[in-house]
Amino acid sequence: MSIILKGVMQSTVTPLKENFALDTPTFERLLDFHVRTGATAISWPHHKGESLNLTMAERKHFAEVAVKVVAGRVPVSIHVSSLAVEDSMMLARHARQIGADAIIAITPYFWRPSPEALYDYFVNLGTSVDLPLIVYNSPHQLGTEITGDLIRRLIERLPNLVAMKEASFISEKFVEISRVVHAAKPSFSMIAGVEFLAPSAPLGCVGSYSAAGAICPNLCTQLFDACISGQSVRARDLQYKMIRLWDLFRDQYPSSLKGGMVLMGRPVGPTRPPLPTASRERQAFIAAELKDLGILETEPHGW
Amino acid sequence: MSIFTPGLVHTPVTPFTSDKRIDFDRFAKLIEFHLCNGAESLAVPMHAGESVSLTDGEQQALLESTIRQIRGRVPVIAHVSDSGTAIAAARASRAEAAGASAIVATTPYYWSTTLPMIVEHFAQIASAVHIPFFVYYSPDEMGAPKFNTDLVLKLIDRIENLAGLVDASQDWQFMISMILHVKRKRSDFQLLTGVEYMVSAGAVGATSLFSPLSGVAPVLVKRLYDLCRLERYFEARKPQEEISALRQVFKKEGAAGLKGAMRAMGRDCGEPRRPLLALDAAAYEKIASTLAAMPCLKDEPRGW
Repeated sequence: MSIILKGVMQSTVTPLKENFALDTPTFERLLDFHVRTGATAISWPHHKGESLNLTMAERKHFAEVAVKVVAGRVPVSIHVSSLAVEDSMMLARHARQIGADAIIAITPYFWRPSPEALYDYFVNLGTSVDLPLIVYNSPHQLGTEITGDLIRRLIERLPNLVAMKEASFISEKFVEISRVVHAAKPSFSMIAGVEFLAPSAPLGCVGSYSAAGAICPNLCTQLFDACISGQSVRARDLQYKMIRLWDLFRDQYPSSLKGGMVLMGRPVGPTRPPLPTASRERQAFIAAELKDLGILETEPHGW
Repeated sequence: MSIFTPGLVHTPVTPFTSDKRIDFDRFAKLIEFHLCNGAESLAVPMHAGESVSLTDGEQQALLESTIRQIRGRVPVIAHVSDSGTAIAAARASRAEAAGASAIVATTPYYWSTTLPMIVEHFAQIASAVHIPFFVYYSPDEMGAPKFNTDLVLKLIDRIENLAGLVDASQDWQFMISMILHVKRKRSDFQLLTGVEYMVSAGAVGATSLFSPLSGVAPVLVKRLYDLCRLERYFEARKPQEEISALRQVFKKEGAAGLKGAMRAMGRDCGEPRRPLLALDAAAYEKIASTLAAMPCLKDEPRGW
């Protein structure tokens, strides 16, 4: 049971038909697109993949499609977080059955559990399946966080805890977690939640998940290469370019991202309510921004 | 306005006597210590110097004492924050008259503010002086609304002498987006980091550092700062992690913890003023023994 996580990993969006049903052929094309354009791993369904707007049956179905289409070319992680912990445990077992390479889980939704309850949750999840576990820290969104102390205790308890998706994007939080985990387990992988690689790579971050990879896979790869090789000036310039895309897409995420994909010749349909679907006006705004950034000329169009 | 780059800014504590008056003799000694240990500028009195617990007259006296002691060897930045805009503006004006090289101020204390109120607050303070003005952004301490790029662009429009933003939010999204857009309008606008987390801030464009820990571990702070200014961020990871570990030792105790750490390093500056409580003996011993066991402090000066 081992998995190597590095580089810019793609958490795919969830393609939907106009009636909001899952669009399986487009999902297959999208997975293949990501693998062909440099994704170092695939992970599905993050919030960007509208995880919480999918039924359990839909999540299991697309998880199976992802594992089948990627077919071992890169590792596939399944995000198992659900409102009910029982569902998360069920999705973890399912991920194991279908041959996924890892599971990823955020701190539980809504309840703001205490540090002890978080410890209990992740121990239960991590011991329920013999798959590598990636924990996902997003204190701004969930009002609860995985501190250095908590992750150290979890590492001591769970040999399959291999990585953290860190999405606080706050220097002190990142440094403290990274410092503590690398002292406890040097092989542990710190992964930035999205492509904030210039501020994190020098601190031991080995890669990121991706907000913009479906739009600009080339930029993702260039940014990672510049950051990990210490080309500080180039890294900063590319990070400045990437922040404009993040600012563009995090507004109505992932609706704007899906809107942008239409412009890149990779339409993936609407976004399920309560999230809006990018309007024509929003698409026009996104088009102007992508043009200004030179994305239309430098990134692949179509599948 | 000529460009003033603060560089490595030490932010000294304010020493008190046992009856809690400012200990100006000890303060003079402390200023010399900072000057001999890497300070390229001094900022007084920041929150580390318990500014909020000093009267208006004391803040002025402390600033004047600093400027007298320094005799022009490094620039002095005056921290003038207050709840009332006019109070802060008047303090800024007096600081300029006293010879301060620049002014720094944060959002108003206590009041629930909106972003337009914050723009007006800073604009009035800055317009009271003709020297560079720096905004200090510290959302965790201040509870003010979160800043965004638009706010800083509005500040740029309103404040001619706005030289930069001292960031203690440590928020990558804010820092990257803000500096990118603001520099397009004012290319010499500076991003400074308000705490010693300079690897990430430097990597995205910060060029100066305000350091509260400089009284405890000036050698380590300077090592971090120098590597970051050379853009050798991977090498800076080690001192960055060491400083972060050091900060965790007394962070929870705030100004009392910082003074406890100063005392443990042989530079006793007394206890904090009320409403803060002094460390009890056990808490002090814990800090002192932890610092004594930290290998990263072996090169640090003990005593004055």
